[in-house]
Amino acid sequence: MLRTFLFLPILLLLLVGCGSLEKEIDIELDTYESRLVVEAYLEPGKPYNLLLSRSTGFFSPIDLENPLESVVQQLESGAEVRIVHRGDTIDLQNQLRFDDESRQFANYVSSEFVPLHFEEPFQLLITTTNGESANASTILQTPFPIDSVVIQKQPEDTLYRVLTYYTDNPDRENFVRRILHVNNLDSIDQDFITDDRFVESPVIAFGTGYSYSSGDTLINTLYHIDQAYYDFLQSAFGALSANGNPFAQPGQIQSNISGSHQPIGIFTGLSYDRVYSVIP
Amino acid sequence: MRFSLLALFLVLLYAASAQTQVTISGTISEAESGETLIGATVRALESGEGALTNTYGFYSLTLPAGSGVPLEFSYVGFQPVQITLNLKNDTVIDIELASGLDLQEVVVQANSFREQLSDPQMSVESLSPRQAKLLPALLGEVDIIKTLQLKPGISSGSEGSSGLFVRGGGPDQNLILLDEAIVYNANHLFGFFSTFNSDAIKDVKVYKGGFPAQYGGRLSSVIDVKLREGNRKDFSGSGGIGLISSRLTLEGPLKKDKSSFMVSGRRTYVDLITSGINRANADNPDFDPIPDYYFYDLNAKVNVDLGENDRIFLSGYFGRDVFAFDNETFNFNFDWGNATGTARWNHTFNSKLFSNTTLTLSDYQYNISNQLTGFSFNLGSSITDASLKTDFYYAADNTHTLRFGISSIYHSFEVGRLKAGSTDGQVQFSAGQDFDGTELGIYFSDDIDFSDRFRVQTGFRLSGFTNDGDVSFGLEPRLAGRYTMNQRISLKASYARMFQYIHLVSNSNIALPTDIWYPSTANVKPQRSDQVAAGWAWQINPNLLFTNEFYYKWLENQIDFKDFAELFANDNLEEEFAFGNGNAYGMEVGLEKTEGRLTGWLGYTLAFIRRGNFRSLDGTLIDNGAFFPPRYDRRHDLSVVGIYQITKRISASAAFVFGSGDISWLPTGRFFLQDSPGRFPFPAVPDYPSRNNFRLPPYHRLDLSIVFRFDPSWGESDLTVSIYNIYNRRNPYFVYLEPTVEEVQPLTGEGPSFEVLTGISPKQVSLFPAIPSLTYNFKF
Repeated sequence: MLRTFLFLPILLLLLVGCGSLEKEIDIELDTYESRLVVEAYLEPGKPYNLLLSRSTGFFSPIDLENPLESVVQQLESGAEVRIVHRGDTIDLQNQLRFDDESRQFANYVSSEFVPLHFEEPFQLLITTTNGESANASTILQTPFPIDSVVIQKQPEDTLYRVLTYYTDNPDRENFVRRILHVNNLDSIDQDFITDDRFVESPVIAFGTGYSYSSGDTLINTLYHIDQAYYDFLQSAFGALSANGNPFAQPGQIQSNISGSHQPIGIFTGLSYDRVYSVIP
Repeated sequence: MRFSLLALFLVLLYAASAQTQVTISGTISEAESGETLIGATVRALESGEGALTNTYGFYSLTLPAGSGVPLEFSYVGFQPVQITLNLKNDTVIDIELASGLDLQEVVVQANSFREQLSDPQMSVESLSPRQAKLLPALLGEVDIIKTLQLKPGISSGSEGSSGLFVRGGGPDQNLILLDEAIVYNANHLFGFFSTFNSDAIKDVKVYKGGFPAQYGGRLSSVIDVKLREGNRKDFSGSGGIGLISSRLTLEGPLKKDKSSFMVSGRRTYVDLITSGINRANADNPDFDPIPDYYFYDLNAKVNVDLGENDRIFLSGYFGRDVFAFDNETFNFNFDWGNATGTARWNHTFNSKLFSNTTLTLSDYQYNISNQLTGFSFNLGSSITDASLKTDFYYAADNTHTLRFGISSIYHSFEVGRLKAGSTDGQVQFSAGQDFDGTELGIYFSDDIDFSDRFRVQTGFRLSGFTNDGDVSFGLEPRLAGRYTMNQRISLKASYARMFQYIHLVSNSNIALPTDIWYPSTANVKPQRSDQVAAGWAWQINPNLLFTNEFYYKWLENQIDFKDFAELFANDNLEEEFAFGNGNAYGMEVGLEKTEGRLTGWLGYTLAFIRRGNFRSLDGTLIDNGAFFPPRYDRRHDLSVVGIYQITKRISASAAFVFGSGDISWLPTGRFFLQDSPGRFPFPAVPDYPSRNNFRLPPYHRLDLSIVFRFDPSWGESDLTVSIYNIYNRRNPYFVYLEPTVEEVQPLTGEGPSFEVLTGISPKQVSLFPAIPSLTYNFKF
């Protein structure tokens, strides 16, 4: 009997599978109808531009020999793209542009610059070569200035954290996005999207952990965004995080683009204040 | 008040009509411990008249006066007792039954087949901790709730979860009672273990339909858990040492045969190991400390006889999960748990009338606190109840058993309490809502034996809820009937309407501690269900029972949530709700063998569930009003459980489960989002279609267990060896679609390279491979 007891646990441990608990499987999803995707940000002082592309089925084949070509093929060409503001119509030309500083693409561009006209409407009108339409409107929000950036050193250590303060406007519901870049705009170190519903004090702060070293340049950008952009970002990031997180609830993209064939995307103004701080 | 007078009148009427007969009443209990037995039988051997003990062990049997009347008292697995009485006056007989068989080995069913055939109550499952202890358990942790998942009509949630989904009902639609106090979150460790320590439990009943009128407040099930009362004869103890937790129960008489106590505790000890690892690596700068996690439960109960006719019970439960992480600049603590308290007074007015008055307190809360240098964050929610109820049980004669009562529950809700800001007060955030509400219930039911063949249980319940001036009422008719075709076959049917006035705010398929409860308000109407069920039971032979039931359930005012609902900190949570309706229907088959060397059961469920037409308060239709299956829509669910007594000291058991895969919501499309500067590579954002569009692969596994028993001089002990998922099936916990990327040069041919999407791989994540476990149990 004793030998049985000694043998059993050893046998049982051998039975434990040592393979991974994650594996690739074959699944078949419902067919998907491609939609127009609009991404257009109005940035005061910069030229009008817009990225017009198409969504694809989740498992649509990708040219492994030339994956970049697969991306380009998703761009929608030949569409009429217009932005109407104060009665003026700005026609955007179908031309590929790559911004070296922001590393962003646009395939519809204009040489005209977005004016500093806060709280005034801009309208977007798109018609594709096959007759699909996409329309949207937005305004440029008045930016919130960053009140102060406070850099604090961790006691008995060499690392620093940064606290970014701004003052909320209590007379209206506001949505903000704060992005922290380190040294350049190549990557995002911190990204918060929030509203002011729970704010008791007029002052709001964004903090970081003790993660930065002497000599780092911290680039704080505070965007005053509208609710449509807030909802779009929440839904896009929510959809991203729900794919792979059993605790998260997926959802459909909340877009401010309307049109004939259920286009999605965002047309919004980007008003922001940006502060550069160098850690001493 | 008018209802109470009517009920009293009926009681007096029956009393007046029964004067020519004699009533025998009393309690039936275990000889070894004095624990009362639920569902034990007393029967007049000549006439065949009989009665069962109620939930409190009380019975009442009315017979014609006479001399030399032979009676038999019996209970499954116990030696029957026969006595002969001269019946001249009403008589009180308390009986103790001795265990006649080795219960742990050969009896797996708490209710006798005879009772199941004759009772008009259908759609009920019973379970004793003995059954649960004989079966294989994940990590050796015997869990009575997980054992219930093996019964027909009751499904589990995701793998390893102790959540219950009954006949198309959601996880919030189960009324879980522990000694009559409501347990709001019966889970530890995100649902992998339930809050019920099997050592402390006496009996569990699950009502899936045909709800007796004394129950209300939830749509889909009532899970009635009774704690053991404690040994009235001798001091004794029991416990176990397992892989992740140990437990100890002590019980004994305070005054022999008059009073007893029971104290039971359980605690996990993984944190003791992880904190040791953390200490050992305290000087290692590359070591990331492991957060502490543990849970514990404490059950206690005292019962005292105050005289021949009065008995009081005091019981309580306290359990907590604690997850904590501390270092010099970051202090995180997350704790959650239930506390319940019950004070119960049983009073026997006379041989026919018995009452139970209960005062309960119940609390569930979670708290998350985080302290950073200069900043703090606190988030929490709670629900606290105080309840008072009185139930009367009146055995008018052997053809009428009346039950009536009244109950009131005061609820206090703290929903999404958020307090955050800087310690200097410069920056402050807060959110949260407080509610209170009162739930009322008044009921009456009559169990009528029209003939040997036809028996009906009829009743109604009037329920109501008040919250901040908003008042809701619901009339809940209940009807259940049984027709006996012959001694082996009976037909049953039932109808029940239920209202639910408080709602769980949860949009995950996993039981999370942050799931919070929300009351009915002017905008949030009470949920309602109407269920009809019909079925038949066939006793194939003395040890084999076949049951088959069909049900259809209409669901109204169901609650779902808008996409990306903000449920944690929200001053107006109702804006995130959507209200719709649904239906559920299906069929259940059960086959049960209760005696012999091989015992066990087979359960199969075929079920269909649809919910839809959801509309938010601003009138927006969710998914254009489409009906969709909830995540727990499981088409086929099969359980096969067998226990085989190899020798007197060795038994083996096996449990096989098969279920259709859970419903999941997967994206069918994707698009690139370049977003803000610095977002590289551009994420492929999933584009989700209508809700719940995909069914995961089927779930199945086989668990085995062997129990070796010993007879040490100081008592009993056993060693249980279990293997969960013996053939190492990788069951799907969830599926996700993983993008793969490749680094390429920019179109201009200049500048740094960046990554682009090159493919999508569907990945299935499983939770539990084959897991062996070893548990040592003892009793002295």
